[in-house]
Amino acid sequence: MVKYFVSILILFSFFIPSVEARVYLDINAPTFVQIPIVLPKWKSVDKTPPALTAKIYEVLASDLTLSGFFKVIDHSLLPSYLKEKEGIPNLLSIQEWAPSGGELLIAGEATLGGDGLSLRLKFHLVDLVEQKHLTGKQYDAQLQNFRNMVHRIADETILHLTGERGVHNTKVAYVIRQGEGREISLADFDGANSKQITQNQSINLSPVWTPDGQRIAFTSYLKRNPDLYLIDLNGRNLQRLSSHPGLNVSPSWSPDGKQIALMMGMEGKSDIYLLDANGGNPKRLTGGHGNESTPRWSPDGQQIVFSSDRSGSPQIYLMSSNGSNVRRLTYEGNYNTSPSWSPKGDQIAFCGRAGGQFHIFTIRTDGSGLKKLTPNGSNNESPCWSPDGRYIAFGSTRAGGSRIFIMNANGFNQRPLTTSKGGESSPSWSKRFE
Amino acid sequence: MMRKSYMVSVIFILCIGLILMGCPKKTVVKEEPSAKAEAAKIEAERAAKEKERETKERETKEKEAARVKEEQAKKEFERSLVAKKTPGIEGEIFESSLLKPIHFDFDRYDIRAPEAETLKGNSAFLKKFPNMKIQIEGHCDERGTHEYNLALGERRANTTKKYLLSLGISENRMSTISYGEEKPLDSAHNDEAWAKNRRAHFIITAK
Repeated sequence: MVKYFVSILILFSFFIPSVEARVYLDINAPTFVQIPIVLPKWKSVDKTPPALTAKIYEVLASDLTLSGFFKVIDHSLLPSYLKEKEGIPNLLSIQEWAPSGGELLIAGEATLGGDGLSLRLKFHLVDLVEQKHLTGKQYDAQLQNFRNMVHRIADETILHLTGERGVHNTKVAYVIRQGEGREISLADFDGANSKQITQNQSINLSPVWTPDGQRIAFTSYLKRNPDLYLIDLNGRNLQRLSSHPGLNVSPSWSPDGKQIALMMGMEGKSDIYLLDANGGNPKRLTGGHGNESTPRWSPDGQQIVFSSDRSGSPQIYLMSSNGSNVRRLTYEGNYNTSPSWSPKGDQIAFCGRAGGQFHIFTIRTDGSGLKKLTPNGSNNESPCWSPDGRYIAFGSTRAGGSRIFIMNANGFNQRPLTTSKGGESSPSWSKRFE
Repeated sequence: MMRKSYMVSVIFILCIGLILMGCPKKTVVKEEPSAKAEAAKIEAERAAKEKERETKERETKEKEAARVKEEQAKKEFERSLVAKKTPGIEGEIFESSLLKPIHFDFDRYDIRAPEAETLKGNSAFLKKFPNMKIQIEGHCDERGTHEYNLALGERRANTTKKYLLSLGISENRMSTISYGEEKPLDSAHNDEAWAKNRRAHFIITAK
């Protein structure tokens, strides 16, 4: 009997740490407090230029801050005897970092190859409270991909602390205004590497990632009709996918990639249709008199969420993916549009009008737990989830012209994705690039 | 006295004479009834011809006036046409100030009474130029989401098309397109600009 009890205890003690870690590090938990993490100065090994190492350090600090998990303690803010300490500290003398105020520590070093083209990054994650080494890795890649290597360090850190990888190696597609035209653009999760992928001066709208993450679907007026196109991430291989007279807008792929839900205007008003993956064989899912918009598939492939004004004002509805079993989800307010299903399947983010302004809301799929996430005094629209469901990207005009913002899924930590002068809208978040 | 009676008898004779002279004249009139009818007939014919000529002339003038008017209308139409090419959007189209835009309330697509009058004017204009083909563009103000506004613009364009159909404009002369909030007339962020931007705009795809 005693033996049996002990084995259960052992089992429990085996599971408890990871369970605790996840609960402890859920940025969207109401009680979540950012963890202070200290970043000692990184070491430049051999002839590695200190400016490169400083850049790597900067990207890592930014990644950790943007993740929302951490309060980063920069080495420049440390007491003088720690300020210039470089590289990975010895675990035996780790106690000397206690006065830094950090509970965690990430230290590392950079080695530029003799050819000047290859780069090696090495990092250690240390728990300063428990005084133990948590994880450490070494990455080798081309110098030009140094940002991705740093993103991997941030992702690995979050994986270790939460059980789920971060989303630092993801991109956001969005629309930018160019005079009278609208073009499609891409940027990394941290706003770096922004790149315009259409250059046709037309009106290009509503970008959405294809399920393989290799192409962008979007609507363009090139042929004087809002047709649906696909384009490679480098801006090549433009291909027309659906060009029925009227709208061909806002596609959503089924999780198995075999079907596309699409807003189409073939009947003189916007309805939700299902198409084959090649854009053929459109079948109407919605009937009646409403204007139906923005279909988004549930992660389990069973349902589609969309917006409809069939009740007189636009509201969020759910239906089975064959168009049956339609039910209304939102009852607050008279303008609820642009739904987006969370990757975990439990929540819908949408744009709603409250107090004369447009805000991002989330609601559970059973209609409970309605939450307004964006602050009063701003207009916000077009929410979309990060692939881990921890963040929501959206368009906001709070800083003058419309820009893309990112926030934690509970509304905390709202910040602009890019620092352009405005004119950006309609974000779509990629899956993780491995 | 002698002189006076002489005068009287002269007058008397003259009177007799006048009477006697008058008699043969009367006889002459009575003797020529057919000649007079002939004259009247000729006169009537002449008058009729004259009238016909006048009518013809008037008709010609009216026709000419109508032709001139039509010509003027055509010229006015031609003058009103502005050829337009939009970068990144296929085809050259025309816009005419004689095809008037209509406006909508926020988040609505029903046609208000004054806008219906505008559409009647547009329909009369379209009937004058039966070869003309148009495209009806549905537009929205910047408030609300881009995609919902595309749906709303689609509906505004189609409601407008249906109204013109009910006024007798044939379906094959009209196409529709929604630009949502992407082509504002006025890019300001206020009520006045928004009211201008919530519109159905007409373009001419064939003259």
